[in-house]
Amino acid sequence: MKISTRGRYGIRLMIDLAEHSSEPHVALANIAERQNISARYLEQVAVILRRAGYIRSVKGASGGYSLSREPREIVIGDALRVLEGDLLVVDELRPGETENRIQRCIRQMVYNRLNKRIAAVVDRITLASMLGTVDSDESYIYFI
Amino acid sequence: MRISTRGRYSLEALVYLALLPEGAFASTRAISENTGISDGYLEQLFIPLRKAGIVRGIRGAQGGYLPGREAKAITVGDVLRAVEGSLEPVACLSSNTCPAEAKCITRHTWDQLYHEITDCVDSIAIADLVEAYGKLDEESYSI
Repeated sequence: MKISTRGRYGIRLMIDLAEHSSEPHVALANIAERQNISARYLEQVAVILRRAGYIRSVKGASGGYSLSREPREIVIGDALRVLEGDLLVVDELRPGETENRIQRCIRQMVYNRLNKRIAAVVDRITLASMLGTVDSDESYIYFI
Repeated sequence: MRISTRGRYSLEALVYLALLPEGAFASTRAISENTGISDGYLEQLFIPLRKAGIVRGIRGAQGGYLPGREAKAITVGDVLRAVEGSLEPVACLSSNTCPAEAKCITRHTWDQLYHEITDCVDSIAIADLVEAYGKLDEESYSI
């Protein structure tokens, strides 16, 4: 039941970019040092976030990354799904795959409920509310 | 965020045992035939489950396993913790060893997630699953 390293580092990468948003872009090496994460690993995470449109890169010797969306528009649940693949507690049934009655019962009673409750938490938190720049309840109402 | 195979199989085995008539027990072979989980794997799972009092073993050639206490007194959380360890979504929540803990911005989010997960699995007893299983049965017959 763990959030992967990739998921955790990806969120920290975006937090760092948001905290340094006064700079046009931030070098990955600086983030790696501040966050105490290997720069090579951070590079892999940055590629995923860039492809998904969360961050943009500036090439060159003084290059780096910046957020390409406003922190209040970055829903943590969405970002985690991009980084993790999904946030489900068990694999979904593949087409044609069957399950026995006990498995079906546990899926309905436990796994589906857990999936819903996990999604409800991470989908109401934005990067901005995480940073404390926006009250989380306020942003919740705002997004509805 | 996956529940491990150990966790899923343990829940399936527990529901099977809880479906047996009061006081009845089943050999790992019988459990295996009914759940599709290999008996070697079941034997492995029953070590931590027995330690946690979730299953009880009956020794001997005609032995087997039964729930260690009433099905309404065993929660899904009990079973998962016995075989998976802590259910925290990140390893730092209960250890309190992280030097950055005081200024960690993500901790509150992981904490909320942990609370939600715990609250969910601790509110579902194996007896609830047995009851739901019975209803599932009726539904499929009525179709």
